[in-house]
Amino acid sequence: MSRRIVVVFGLLLLIALGLGIYAWHLKRKVAREEQVAAQQQLAMAPPANGLPTPVTLYVASDSMATLGKSQMSIVLPPERSERARAVLRALFSAYLKSPSPHPIGAGADVRDVYLLGDDTAVVDTNTAFADGHPSGVLAEELTVASIVATLTADDSRIQRVKILVNGHERETLAGHADLQRFYLASNIGQAVKDLQ
Amino acid sequence: MPRFDRNAPLWAALVVFAPLLLVVLLLRLVPVQAQAPAPAQITVYSPQTSYSVSLLDVKGQPYVGLVEVLEPLGSLDAKPEGKKYKLRFTPAGGRTEEAQFTEGKDKGKVRGDSYKLPATFVVQNGRGYVPLTAISNLLARLLSTQTEFHPAGRRLFVATVPERFTLDMRAGNPSRLLLGFSSAVNPTIATEPGRVRLTFRREPVVAAGADKVNYDDPLITGASFSEHDGVAELDITGTAPLMANFADGGKTIIVTGAPPPPPSMAELPAPAPQVPPLPPAVTPPPRQPATPRFLVLIDPAHGGADIGAAITPSLQEKDVVLALARRVQRELASHGVAAGLLRNSDIGIALDQRAVSANAARPALYVALHAANTGRGVHVFTELLPAANTSPQSFLPWDTAQAAFLDLSGTVAGSVAAELEARKLPNATLLAPLRPMNNIAAPAVAVEIAPPSENVEEIASAAYQEQVAQAIAAGIVAVRPKLPEVRP
Repeated sequence: MSRRIVVVFGLLLLIALGLGIYAWHLKRKVAREEQVAAQQQLAMAPPANGLPTPVTLYVASDSMATLGKSQMSIVLPPERSERARAVLRALFSAYLKSPSPHPIGAGADVRDVYLLGDDTAVVDTNTAFADGHPSGVLAEELTVASIVATLTADDSRIQRVKILVNGHERETLAGHADLQRFYLASNIGQAVKDLQ
Repeated sequence: MPRFDRNAPLWAALVVFAPLLLVVLLLRLVPVQAQAPAPAQITVYSPQTSYSVSLLDVKGQPYVGLVEVLEPLGSLDAKPEGKKYKLRFTPAGGRTEEAQFTEGKDKGKVRGDSYKLPATFVVQNGRGYVPLTAISNLLARLLSTQTEFHPAGRRLFVATVPERFTLDMRAGNPSRLLLGFSSAVNPTIATEPGRVRLTFRREPVVAAGADKVNYDDPLITGASFSEHDGVAELDITGTAPLMANFADGGKTIIVTGAPPPPPSMAELPAPAPQVPPLPPAVTPPPRQPATPRFLVLIDPAHGGADIGAAITPSLQEKDVVLALARRVQRELASHGVAAGLLRNSDIGIALDQRAVSANAARPALYVALHAANTGRGVHVFTELLPAANTSPQSFLPWDTAQAAFLDLSGTVAGSVAAELEARKLPNATLLAPLRPMNNIAAPAVAVEIAPPSENVEEIASAAYQEQVAQAIAAGIVAVRPKLPEVRP
């Protein structure tokens, strides 16, 4: 093999190595940006206009293992699914403050709420919500029950709720609570009663 | 520009494909590195139970965790105190013994006497590890019993005589090889052309004679026994497809020629002649209906890479619940109730697979165990499903199989909660949408323990776990008459 060929082959190897490292760097950069975007999503949401409206939140307490009913006033958008999203974001903000009665993953947010027909709500949460959620039967049960109870308390037409993570179905929230099923308002009512 | 006069196609291919190949290889580098090989393990056989324990590689030397090895054999309280690692162990029906080691030192104390390890003692994540080569002698000293260690096969026999099986070759048409065991066995059987492989994971079987036997037989040509990574394997080779049948209630396995596959339609002769009867040796006896029995199946949640909740940086849910599961099993046994564990070592099982295994075991009751640091005390859960009017005997949908058993599940939960209350343990009975409890076709409860006080580490204390285990067992025993026995 002549020296020139070896040099060319060496150059090609270097280019390939450089391309590989660059591709790997891009992959990491995209992942980082997605994470930052998810964390900033809550702060970047445009505020709704209008007068504050009282809403009911079912707020979980880890130390008491309970779900407490509380009222707060927030500005609600006119559209029904946007209202449901705003109510859930108010619930999440109660969990994200410090000290939190029921910590959930940092940067947790509701990406969207879709209404299917008149009685079914599909709540699309972000990855930070599920990935950072504390693991445990009670901890996850409190989160699911508080989401479903809050949604149905503020929109009595909602009878079934499904929770997605980043647009996809997930087996469990953090290893325990089932996220593959549709939660029935009538069924979750009994769980909420037990937790009060 | 370089000239590629000679071997032009080769160079063109190199120029085009080499960079692409390298890019692909580099991109695949991270996931390839993430795929670790299956961890090595040791299997321990004792008169009460047999179980596997994963090994830890410390500078190329296999180490084994003291908690993982000792916990199934009795009651254990082990904790690090600075560099020291103290453990108090009470074997079933025996008296409490103590041992102490120091991290980074090879000298320790066992039952008050000095004890030298072949290499230094290691502590990782609050757990003590000794070199694998020391475990047999250490257990013999601590338990005052005989042990036998097969280092090549990584099998440890504690107060158990290895069970030697017999090989009895019966020439004939077809020839049969009879494997005789002193008690029933349940190996995994794998067949491939001209070979049957029996893998024994839980049975302490060893070869009675030579590891390899050759037969001068036209069908079965040999049998070889081997041990590796905590399992025993018996390989039987032949000149034609072989099959294995159980006989004598599982104490005998008959290996013989597999029946030829049915001919295709084209090969079938037009007038069907009289069908020859099967030889009596391979005709299975009429199966007797199995007797209903009461089995409690305990499912220690998580395992393997799925650690569950990180209760403290060094205390994981998967370990806490395995220890609790073993205590519940012992408590139930002391009340005369048979109980099995869905996992008895640090292995990961998918949620669906847990439900499949649990339903296949046909238990009278399924108990899932969890641990977390949310709240205080013990929470007893039943499945959050709408009650169904379907009969438990009918066809049950996979996602809502538990719905048919909610009444009985609630009865068990109430009974366990009452026993917890009687022991003054904070408790609550709740509903939860818990996987895989919704798939369980039997009465089912889940018990999640939380620390009893501000000190989170108390969740793993022997005293607290013993109290909880006693309450769970007593609660189950109290409602046993209400739970129907099930045919296996």
